[in-house]
Amino acid sequence: MYGTKSKIDLAFEYQSQVAVLRPSIHSRRANLTVKFQDLYGFTVEGNVDDVNVLNEVREKVRQQGRVWWALEASKGANWYLHTTIGQGSALTSSLKFSALANAITLKKLIRKGIPPVLRPKIWFSLSGAAKKKSTVPDSYYDDLTKAVEGKVTPATRQIDHDLPRTFPGHPWLDTPEGHAALRRVLVAYSFRDSDVGYCQGLNYVAALLLLVMKTEEDAFWMLAVLLENVLVNDCYTNNLSGCHVEQRVFKDLLVKKCPRIATHLEALEFDVSLVTTEWFLCLFSKSLPSETTLRVWDVIFYEGAKVIFNVALAIFKVPLV
Amino acid sequence: MAAPPARARADYDYLIKLLLIGDSGVGKSCLLLRFSDGSFTTSFITTIGIDFKIRTIELDGKRIKLQIWDTAGQERFRTITTAYYRGAMGILLVYDVTDEASFNNIRNWIRNIEQHASDNVNKILVGNKADMDESKRAVPTSKGQALADEYGIKFFETSAKTNLNVEEVFFSIARDIKQRLADTDSKAEPSTIKINQDQSGGAGQAAQKSACCG
Repeated sequence: MYGTKSKIDLAFEYQSQVAVLRPSIHSRRANLTVKFQDLYGFTVEGNVDDVNVLNEVREKVRQQGRVWWALEASKGANWYLHTTIGQGSALTSSLKFSALANAITLKKLIRKGIPPVLRPKIWFSLSGAAKKKSTVPDSYYDDLTKAVEGKVTPATRQIDHDLPRTFPGHPWLDTPEGHAALRRVLVAYSFRDSDVGYCQGLNYVAALLLLVMKTEEDAFWMLAVLLENVLVNDCYTNNLSGCHVEQRVFKDLLVKKCPRIATHLEALEFDVSLVTTEWFLCLFSKSLPSETTLRVWDVIFYEGAKVIFNVALAIFKVPLV
Repeated sequence: MAAPPARARADYDYLIKLLLIGDSGVGKSCLLLRFSDGSFTTSFITTIGIDFKIRTIELDGKRIKLQIWDTAGQERFRTITTAYYRGAMGILLVYDVTDEASFNNIRNWIRNIEQHASDNVNKILVGNKADMDESKRAVPTSKGQALADEYGIKFFETSAKTNLNVEEVFFSIARDIKQRLADTDSKAEPSTIKINQDQSGGAGQAAQKSACCG
């Protein structure tokens, strides 16, 4: 009988607990709702307690910003760009040591969050986007967008479908200007890598990159380095094979790192890929508040794709804390 | 862990799993939101992978919990969504009446169902966005009806925006599935008797055999 399949219900209850992280979900003490725009223009809605927590976090970020400025003052501007220990033998051992020390400092700093003003600059150099861009003529992006203007492909058709469905209601993204910028970035990339073309999910990623990087060209290169160097291969290609691999790896990881949760979810017949597909393809941008997403991206761009798994595991552990 | 399902069991008589499929942008998520929450918004977001909603309805005095799975329409997501076909008892094939390509693709979606869903799955054809101006319409009602007739399935034109036929579609497929489940349930008893009969028949044969040998 179908009545016995009610175990699934618990799975849904579980999912609603996970969703507490979404800004739109009110927690139980929601007698006073506060609504405001965050740093990147997204509407955040929550009760007074949520807002207090958010303010505490912001204060920490501001303190963190002061740490960054102090380091700039003592180590010199752009010190964080010289953290790779050179393969060149020209470096003296003391220089190598200072680079290593800087690298350790930087990793710690990034995990605590990059100040929003520094974000575009730091992402661009540490992710490898700057290097990628430097290997092609300066006019690459402009030439590419001009060359593909007016062309219609299955990718462009899908992109046009998705533009108004990407963070609708956002004060800039959901305007003709925002749509046009996002379109140019996505269309240009679809021609750069025809194996990927366009995959749903990239619309959210590119949109957030645009908001952070401020210029289309930088957002384009961030998207390129993300797909070509940072993430697992073939996450967004025609059969999403990389994404399937990630799902399997994550399931194994969950069993290994959180055996109790894994057993519990299995008993509920809850398949984690129901939530993780979206998390991984949108890099959490559809599931976490923008400030949280960008903190995650700070670390992804410096430490790589494994961070996606760390964050997903952490989210599953949240209800236990 | 064993206790909660017993509590949950009490709140419905049947659990029916439905799946919404169709091209990207035909309004699958809109239909589902209209049916589950009774609302419509033009500010919709792209579905990535798979999503679901639940609504419990009452049919002929039985409480029926509908678990409705919504899928991403882009072709490459089929490698993810087809995993959910097998568990579905009913599938809603959705196209957009203003988009002929989405209608022509219904045949491909049906091929997908044949490949991945269980054989007795109920299907229903849905032409969405029927509120749109006639000048924008690309698929006449008669064409939709003809395709549905060809596959021997029911057909509705809906509008998630104006709430036209949304309830009707979900109730219609739910009713058919409930009927099918009830039929299999009631068939279950005679079949047990039949097995017994077969067994006794077999025993009889064996007896005859032994009688023959003896």
